[in-house]
Amino acid sequence: MKKFGLALSVAASLMGTTLMADVITATPGQAVNIVLLPKFLGILPFDQADRGAQEAAKELGNTGTYQYIGPTPENSAAGQIEMLTTATTQKQGVVMLSNNAGDQIAPTAEAAQAAGTKVVTWDSPIPSGKGESVFVAQVDFGSIGTVMADMVFDEAGGAGEFAVLSASPDAANQNAWIEAMKTVLAADAKYKDLKLVDVVYGNDQSEESYNRALGLVDKYPDLKVIMAPTTVGIVAAAKAMQDEKLCDKVKVSGLGLPAEMVSYTMNGCAPEFALWSFVDLGYLTYYTSYLLATGAIKGEIGEEFAAGRMGNFKIDEDPGRAGAKRVLMGPFTVYNKDNVEAASK
Amino acid sequence: MTRLHPQTLRIIALFVALLATVVFFSTQIDSYLSPRMFTRITTSAAVILPIAVGQAIVVMTRNIDLSIGSTVGVVAYLTGEFLGGHPDLHPLVVALLAMGIGGAMGAINGVLVAWGRVPSIIVTLGTLALYRSFLVQYSDAKTITTASLPQWLVDLPQANAFSLFGLDVRVTVVLALLSAIAMGIALTRLRAARRIYAVGSNPDAAVMAGINAGMVVFVAFVISGAFAGLSGLIFLAKFGNITVVAGMGFELKAVAAVVVGGVSILGGSGSMIGVVIGCVLVDTIDNSLTRWELVSEFWRDALLGMLIMAAVTVDTVMSRSLGRLGAKGGK
Repeated sequence: MKKFGLALSVAASLMGTTLMADVITATPGQAVNIVLLPKFLGILPFDQADRGAQEAAKELGNTGTYQYIGPTPENSAAGQIEMLTTATTQKQGVVMLSNNAGDQIAPTAEAAQAAGTKVVTWDSPIPSGKGESVFVAQVDFGSIGTVMADMVFDEAGGAGEFAVLSASPDAANQNAWIEAMKTVLAADAKYKDLKLVDVVYGNDQSEESYNRALGLVDKYPDLKVIMAPTTVGIVAAAKAMQDEKLCDKVKVSGLGLPAEMVSYTMNGCAPEFALWSFVDLGYLTYYTSYLLATGAIKGEIGEEFAAGRMGNFKIDEDPGRAGAKRVLMGPFTVYNKDNVEAASK
Repeated sequence: MTRLHPQTLRIIALFVALLATVVFFSTQIDSYLSPRMFTRITTSAAVILPIAVGQAIVVMTRNIDLSIGSTVGVVAYLTGEFLGGHPDLHPLVVALLAMGIGGAMGAINGVLVAWGRVPSIIVTLGTLALYRSFLVQYSDAKTITTASLPQWLVDLPQANAFSLFGLDVRVTVVLALLSAIAMGIALTRLRAARRIYAVGSNPDAAVMAGINAGMVVFVAFVISGAFAGLSGLIFLAKFGNITVVAGMGFELKAVAAVVVGGVSILGGSGSMIGVVIGCVLVDTIDNSLTRWELVSEFWRDALLGMLIMAAVTVDTVMSRSLGRLGAKGGK
């Protein structure tokens, strides 16, 4: 009896260890050279990701090097490919990439992997998934659709016409989000009185986005909401509505940065918008990269790991990209006049 | 039939093209011929016009300035930042400051092209990247927002200079037009400014005639930079939110306006009235296409490109055949 009990307890403790082993934790103090490569340098979200990555690097006591490098805005796609190539020749351990070069970068990423440099994408993946170890997704692309639909619903008062002001026609993220929103709108009877009249593109340029927003209000006199799932577009649209004194009639919503949106949220031109934390995204991406490079995780579906202060995450299949893998961060914050001022500091 | 100068014919052709564009779109878009549409197009063209004026001067000397998009961005950012700390500056001082920063950036191009003897396309392609990189480094990823700007600047884009037949003419539009008019008068009346044409038509002959060609080219680049500075200020006032991407791609819009406006890319000819019409034409096409139901967003850029090419072709063919007609009639 006693023996049996012992056997049981041994079995239990064994099970315990296997359960424990399911969540992989990082061994600090190893040396991994990591490069953070954003779409381009000089805008706030990417600097915040850099801050998060540095925080993680410190926590993990990584004795390797950390570099935050990126192309200038006008040279983004070509510059990223060049920098990824350089990082490969330098035998960097991991390149953390917010891809702005579409599938053009895939051959370079595959060459990097073959030479032993891992490519972990964040913010914006490689569409085909080729050459990418894993994608750290800011939020579930499907759930962004729901949040976008809900914000339109709130601001339109449940019924009316709205339009989307996006970045560029070939921005993989934004297109996926807009599709997700359309699916949500069609699936739920709650949204039956909302009508999406147009999707236009401001190419993430202030003046183009501004002119497109004015074009929308001219073209659709009954327009109630402009939904801009891009940080450049949302500010430009809010400014355009403010300049035209249309804020009472047409509300702006979407994805924006609190620091840039605060005045428009307070004056009612853009009462509500959403965003996730880029600091957290940089932090989680760094943990994922470190674990991959030290061999603690293999980057396979089903692996679960601990990422410091943010808790446990699991690698699963990316529902939007067949055969690609992702780590899902989420959630995001919805900002309104109650919390935007604190967040903008 | 009196003999018409080919330049005059070009302007007439351009004007006809602009008129045709407006008439065409007025049949396609509801309430197109409205005061609102007038304001939309004029205020949008006002951001580009000053840099197109500067670009035209540079093109007339057989050079090109590709760095102006970056100049606009840097000036908008630096001026915005400075105003954040000194909100009480007189508007005139602010304008001079913006044009001064732009002019200094143009001077760097000018020195390298005029006396360094480096082709302008190489120099300005370099400074295009260099000025942008400077902005990236300098800005430290901070955004200039309207909240930090003085109220007069924020209100400037909405300020009306005067109304004509129910059409509102905004202050920014007047500013942009003034830059073109001043330059136009200088080019036709001032002996010093005529040297720009001389250097552009035949640099060797100009030198033999005792013109300091290097100096003329240098000044052309300084003017281009200063006008880009003015555009930067209008950009800052209009959009308020300045990040490192401000003004990106403006060089192409300016070159389009200049070429459509009949300034010869081979140098030596062109007029300010042409540049103004070219600028308005390009902007009219762009603003009309976004409101045209028939065209999807994906075709807008392609159509804009085709229309610009068509405008240039029609303009060239018309002025050539009209020129021939005029020549015959004159004999």
